[in-house]
Amino acid sequence: MSTSIQKAIELILSADPELLNILSTTAKVCLTSSILALIIGVPLGILFGAERFPGRRVLLVLNRTLIGMPPVVCGLLFYMLFSGVGPFRHLKLLFTVKLMIIAQVVLITPIIIGVMETFVADTAPALRETTRGLGFGRMKEYRLLVNECLYSIFSAYLLSFARAIAEVGAVAMVGGAIAWKTNVMTTAIMMYTNRGSFTLGIALGLILLTLSLLVNVVLSLMQGRLSR
Amino acid sequence: MKTKSFSKTYGKRRVLELPELELPEGQITAVIGPNGSGKSTFAKVLAGIEQPDEKKPILSGVSVGYLPQKSFPFRMTTEKNILTNGTDHTRAAELMKILSIDALAKQSAKKLSGGETARMALCRILMSRYDLLILDEPTTAMDMESTLAAEQLIRETSHETDCAALLITHSISQARRIADRVLVLQRGELVEQGATEAVLSAPSKEETRRFLDFYGL
Ligand SMILES: Nc1ncnc2c1ncn2[C@@H]1O[C@H](COP(=O)(O)OP(=O)(O)O)[C@@H](O)[C@H]1O
Ligand SMILES: [Mg+2]
Repeated sequence: MSTSIQKAIELILSADPELLNILSTTAKVCLTSSILALIIGVPLGILFGAERFPGRRVLLVLNRTLIGMPPVVCGLLFYMLFSGVGPFRHLKLLFTVKLMIIAQVVLITPIIIGVMETFVADTAPALRETTRGLGFGRMKEYRLLVNECLYSIFSAYLLSFARAIAEVGAVAMVGGAIAWKTNVMTTAIMMYTNRGSFTLGIALGLILLTLSLLVNVVLSLMQGRLSR
Repeated sequence: MKTKSFSKTYGKRRVLELPELELPEGQITAVIGPNGSGKSTFAKVLAGIEQPDEKKPILSGVSVGYLPQKSFPFRMTTEKNILTNGTDHTRAAELMKILSIDALAKQSAKKLSGGETARMALCRILMSRYDLLILDEPTTAMDMESTLAAEQLIRETSHETDCAALLITHSISQARRIADRVLVLQRGELVEQGATEAVLSAPSKEETRRFLDFYGL
């Protein structure tokens, strides 16, 4: 056990080319999907939290359902849509990084919407009573509301990034874990462990854990700063 | 200025029913009454935050400023909060000095205490001129020194800008100190109105007398 951890650390330090390729694919998939999810999710979440319109509650229930969706089900859905018998087969996206990103966007945007909606629904009424009392217009009201949301946006982003980088089901189904092409950290761990080769798996596991630690340290450091 | 008569019902409970009222410009009208008598509801309907049962505005063609009972500090410094409602830095500095929060200008408004937040919020609303200025218990969280400074500020503002000021308070002594006129609410109804001294020293109803006695005058 301790010698395999030692070997794993050596592998990380030796900048093994396959390890680097897996890391860069992972970074590309997770950074792109989380940023797209942020761009879509933040405005929708703020809208759901701040406004009351017919159908809002139904959409929120749907969103909560999507938050709870197992990644592998999301993967299955996209697999069926883009595989040789699916309606979108001519796009030839199955087993590409692009489709992995799309599947992850569908998986994590609901998290961002959920976090933003909860925060805004809590904050908007009191803020609005004050801004309307001052005679501010809608634009100014929204500017001030978004300004209140800074920490929520930040923590929603990190939460969705963490989910993206940790999930296996969706990226394995639609990406196929092809070495040097669509293999990311989690799928690589599965693949190498299945082959009985633990070293790369442990190295990737260590990196994932360190990343998760880092994300949480940054979150707790920013909490004080951004909610002031 | 005149307000239309209106009523306000929450669910099945009618919490407020008021006749036409006159709010004179350049004067302070105090609204007094015990907890739950409908003072804040009155303020919200006047400010257009809540709709009356009639579904029409009860004031028209006037600009209204409304300071809620519980004010919201925006996530920025005290000074920037105040400057969201105007660009006159000199005026902002002057207001902060009068209410002794000038030392807190650069501090995050989220970190202010209850009384300090109330002082910041009063400075913030006083940065603009409104035809009708509604203040819902602006000094309840303040200490005596700040309360007196705030009262003088409200007085000056109403004289200088010739606005109609509606001061909601549960303090009869505060009404005595600065109000020209008073409205007394009990269980959502107007039970007295008139010049401050006249109403407070010789209320026309037994019920008002009991309320005044109870609050120790
Ligand atoms: N949003 C609301 N929904 C239901 N009842 C309310 C609401 N706001 C106020 N009330 C009720 O209306 C009555 C008057 O409240 P309020 O105007 O806040 O009184 P005051 O400011 O004089 O203490 C109270 O009995 C209160 O419980
Ligand atoms: Mg009240």
